[in-house]
Amino acid sequence: MAKNVTQKKRDSWGSRLGIIMAVAGSAIGLGNFLRFPAKAASNGGGAFMIPYFISLLLLGIPLMWIEWTLGRYGGGFEHGTAPGIFHSVWQKNRFIKYFGVIGIFGPLVIFIYYTYIASWTLAYSFFALIGKLKSLPSQTSMQGFLAGFQGVEKNQYFSSIGPAYLFFIITFGINIAVIYYGIKGGIEKLCKIAMPLLFICAIALLIRVLTLGTPNLQQPSWNITNGFGFLWNPDFSALKSAKVWLEAAGQVFFTLSVGIGVILTYASYLSKGDDVVLSGLSAASTNEFAEVILGASIVIPAAFVFFGPVDILNIAKSGVFNLGFVTMPLVLNNLPMVELLGFAWFFLLFLAGITSSVSLAQPAVAFLEDEFSINRKKAVTIFAIASFILCQAAIFFLKNGVVDELDFWGGTFFLVIFATIETILFAWVFGMEPAWDEIHKGADMRVPKIYKFIIKYITPLFLFFILGMWFCQEWLPIIFMRNVLPENKNFVLGTRIGLLLIFIILVMLVKIAWKKKNLNKPL
Amino acid sequence: MKLSGIVFLILSWGAIVILTTFCFLKVLSKKELK
Repeated sequence: MAKNVTQKKRDSWGSRLGIIMAVAGSAIGLGNFLRFPAKAASNGGGAFMIPYFISLLLLGIPLMWIEWTLGRYGGGFEHGTAPGIFHSVWQKNRFIKYFGVIGIFGPLVIFIYYTYIASWTLAYSFFALIGKLKSLPSQTSMQGFLAGFQGVEKNQYFSSIGPAYLFFIITFGINIAVIYYGIKGGIEKLCKIAMPLLFICAIALLIRVLTLGTPNLQQPSWNITNGFGFLWNPDFSALKSAKVWLEAAGQVFFTLSVGIGVILTYASYLSKGDDVVLSGLSAASTNEFAEVILGASIVIPAAFVFFGPVDILNIAKSGVFNLGFVTMPLVLNNLPMVELLGFAWFFLLFLAGITSSVSLAQPAVAFLEDEFSINRKKAVTIFAIASFILCQAAIFFLKNGVVDELDFWGGTFFLVIFATIETILFAWVFGMEPAWDEIHKGADMRVPKIYKFIIKYITPLFLFFILGMWFCQEWLPIIFMRNVLPENKNFVLGTRIGLLLIFIILVMLVKIAWKKKNLNKPL
Repeated sequence: MKLSGIVFLILSWGAIVILTTFCFLKVLSKKELK
């Protein structure tokens, strides 16, 4: 372990609730309200919660604590991103900082497409409010509207991608403005406003869904109680399937924003004596509240009531975007005050999206600030220009599979790799005894002792297991482009080359930063 | 909705409500950042 050094003034959080809200805001995204209910409904219903909670206890929460602790530790050395944090933990290894590049690369790649997706939710909030969505009566028209808006096709609803681009510019501008104002003045302020608003929107929708009753009297079984039953009635036979366990582990992994590098950066703005145990657990539990209680109770039960037990099976498997942008507006079209409810739904998704996207921007900005001693204004400007250019690929080549490709590498593949590296680094290189002491510095509660064993053995094994399983079952066909349409292969290949270039540039930047630091070291 | 579904819902929601309440009560009663 390295000795702590005297700190220059880094940005910091203004309050404890601020960082908890920011980490929870980063974790709570579209997946909480769309991915989770669909996964639970198609993987055993209530029985899905058994592997889900097991994964939460053995994978999600330990990773959360690892990232909070490593982040705070690295912040003590003025490092807010993984290259510096990994180097602080393992100074003798001159290559470990390059593995940390994943912790900047991943969030940057996700930011490229996530900001664009978040902008759809802002646009749809507007469309709902002005009554545009109300005029779309069928699934075909709703799908056509979405495809036209995204620029996938030209149709009677949209003749160009212009409106989508306008909302992208607004969303991108909000992101840049927030990170420009820094941790306390930007991200913390945004999350302190956005998170309560998000919960208000979600609770309002939950109450509306709970009071749906039996709207179609000719179909008395299509009622809200059975809607909840569709999601919660356990199918224990599903537990025999390895796929269900993997889906649950994946959901826990992706919902908590672990393995991205964002929590490392956020926690790096804490002081040495600030608690991470209770704060980390609070952020995780806030995310679970939003997912299991609010997320599970809106879209699937409501869709069941209006589409019935047969169609809901296909709806649950129709994908996240179809669920959010096609099914849910159609459901809301059946209700009074559709404009307001539609607005609440899409604005809720927008708040979930924007609090996540600002967190994805921060690691790259922190990297420039910390490792190149660039001031925030300059760092944000560089990030804004670079990410704006990169976002164009996601916007204009969406229909060619570019976003799926970005999501695979930035939002799936490297996440699991990164989480595995940081777990090994924490439990085996840092060492479990010092790591245990580090977790408990300033802690407001003790971590149960069993977690010493879990973090050292179970979490890494769990990660290796899901890494191996996903690699063989799901990733190989993606890597070899087996499901890519022939006309899209060049776009996918182009995206990969682009990603490789970004990765190489980041590696070079780390090399330059360290070279510069070594030159500036006093003899 | 089956009884087993109600049990799973109550157990899952209950666990999360208890955990979240416990965490936030503790956070609010403890010290602020340094």
